[in-house]
Amino acid sequence: MNYHLQLLVKKVLGTDIAERNFAIFPDDTFLVSYPRSGNTWTRFLIANLVYPNADVSFKNIERLIPDTSSQSTRALRRTPRPRIIKIHEYFDHRCRKIICIVRDPRDVVLSYYDFQRKYRHIADGYPLVSYVNDFVSGNLNSRDWGTWGENVASWFYTRGKSKDFLLLRYEDMIADPVRELARAAAFLGLEPDPARIEQAVQRSAADRMREMEKTQAKDWVATKNHRTDIPFVRVAQAGGWKEKLPAECVAQIEAAWGDTMVALGYDLVSATSHSAISRSTPGSLTESTTGARSQKQGAR
Amino acid sequence: MIAKLGALARHLSGNDPAGRNLSTFPDDTFIVSYPKSGNTWTRFLVASLIHDEEPMTFLKADKVIPTVDSQSRKYFKSLPRPRVIKSHFPFDQNYPRVIYIVRDPKDVAVSQYHYQIKRKVLEDGHPIDEWIPRYVAGETCPYGSWGENVGSWLAARQQSPNFVLLRYEDMIQRTDVELIKIARFLDIDPTPERIQWAIGQSTADRMRKLEQKEAGEWQSTKDTRKDKFFVRSAKAGEGKATLSPAAIAQIELAWGPLMQWLGYETASSDRRGTEPVLRERTFLEAALEQRVR
Repeated sequence: MNYHLQLLVKKVLGTDIAERNFAIFPDDTFLVSYPRSGNTWTRFLIANLVYPNADVSFKNIERLIPDTSSQSTRALRRTPRPRIIKIHEYFDHRCRKIICIVRDPRDVVLSYYDFQRKYRHIADGYPLVSYVNDFVSGNLNSRDWGTWGENVASWFYTRGKSKDFLLLRYEDMIADPVRELARAAAFLGLEPDPARIEQAVQRSAADRMREMEKTQAKDWVATKNHRTDIPFVRVAQAGGWKEKLPAECVAQIEAAWGDTMVALGYDLVSATSHSAISRSTPGSLTESTTGARSQKQGAR
Repeated sequence: MIAKLGALARHLSGNDPAGRNLSTFPDDTFIVSYPKSGNTWTRFLVASLIHDEEPMTFLKADKVIPTVDSQSRKYFKSLPRPRVIKSHFPFDQNYPRVIYIVRDPKDVAVSQYHYQIKRKVLEDGHPIDEWIPRYVAGETCPYGSWGENVGSWLAARQQSPNFVLLRYEDMIQRTDVELIKIARFLDIDPTPERIQWAIGQSTADRMRKLEQKEAGEWQSTKDTRKDKFFVRSAKAGEGKATLSPAAIAQIELAWGPLMQWLGYETASSDRRGTEPVLRERTFLEAALEQRVR
């Protein structure tokens, strides 16, 4: 009851967190991604591109490109239009113009593991293997955003071919940030001025963001009151999983989401993942029903 | 401000429609579909399976399997578990177990068009060819376009053991076989008597007669035109028979690969129209070829 009263007061004041419950305008653009996929970096890149005089930092990023998981409905309402809004939500048909950032889930899970330790959602000694299991089976405390597979696939397969949908792969952004930001600029209808793009990339460099984090972590909603010994801006690299993720974890992720990974251009390495792909033929739809049955009986 | 306070008071007391804010339990099953895809018929069938002691009606089906955005959170809290709940929403990760019913989008178009006339959203004689582009763009329905709704669920859950995909067309053609699948998913013993009882309770003729009695009270019909009916053709293939080639072409341009994957005939598919034809291709590959707005 106390919780509901608080929510009531917040809703009256408009200080409730926006999440999925805010008004969307036709000229909104959304930066969509599953957590730990480069959304913050992309926010900096695009904010530096769109607002070259804003001196973009962790102190003002929420005003420039608000995050619906930390900002209020009132803050969203007060953001000048046309708005660029960051979301981690799975498919929401009300959102029209989408920049979708995806990252190899084998790297996402490593980043998320550190992040959830930073937030004290898990203890330092929590086994990575258990964490990957939670990640794949949808048992993280951020489960409201769906699993990586649910979240990414729900956008990609409904809007992937739309002219109002731009897919950015984190790995491509790491490899050639200027090229990828130029694509985003064109998508946003901005002059793809090379100097301006180059400047935005430099201002959003990982080293620079790390320096800013050191002095501004206490001012940013996503980092204040969380552990400071684990940084928010982490390695900013692609492919770390090849060394750090145990083979059984790699296999588990590939078995769960192999076909979506392949569709996004992420090569699979484990032998078992091929069976996962052939599973998704329509003929197996009836089999999966039977599977549920036998699984349920087995549990009893 | 007053309206806002009213909404908040409803929220505080749990009397606001549950909608996207429903709290779910792991043993909840959702009957999900895009509107006009056979959801009400399925509810009749399933409600009759669950309650096989007295005749099924529209009002009773609403009680046994309530609609997620027309009942309050408090109401859902008071239901006995395991609950069976109806929804039209695109993918919602809070739904643990899902029966998804899909219907040929050409037939859905015809059905939705007629339902909008019944609901006085469209006038009699409104040219359907003018309406189709808005249907394809998802502007005629608050639950996204057909392709978005179907695609979001299949993309997220198609491989899950807690997801069953049923085609309306198969349910029409072999109701007993499909209903046995549903019964097993719900852990209900599909005895022949029970299955036949449920099918008998849910025939189009019986439902048409019930509609005449209950239309004034039932939520989906009460403020609508009484000279048009909710239970309409209850058939497959009306879209192909009645839509113009231009209208069909627009629907296929938007959702062709997804339709083919589901086994729905398109101009470019071979003539095995009633069986899923793309066994060699995954749903995800088919969906990738989709062209959306």
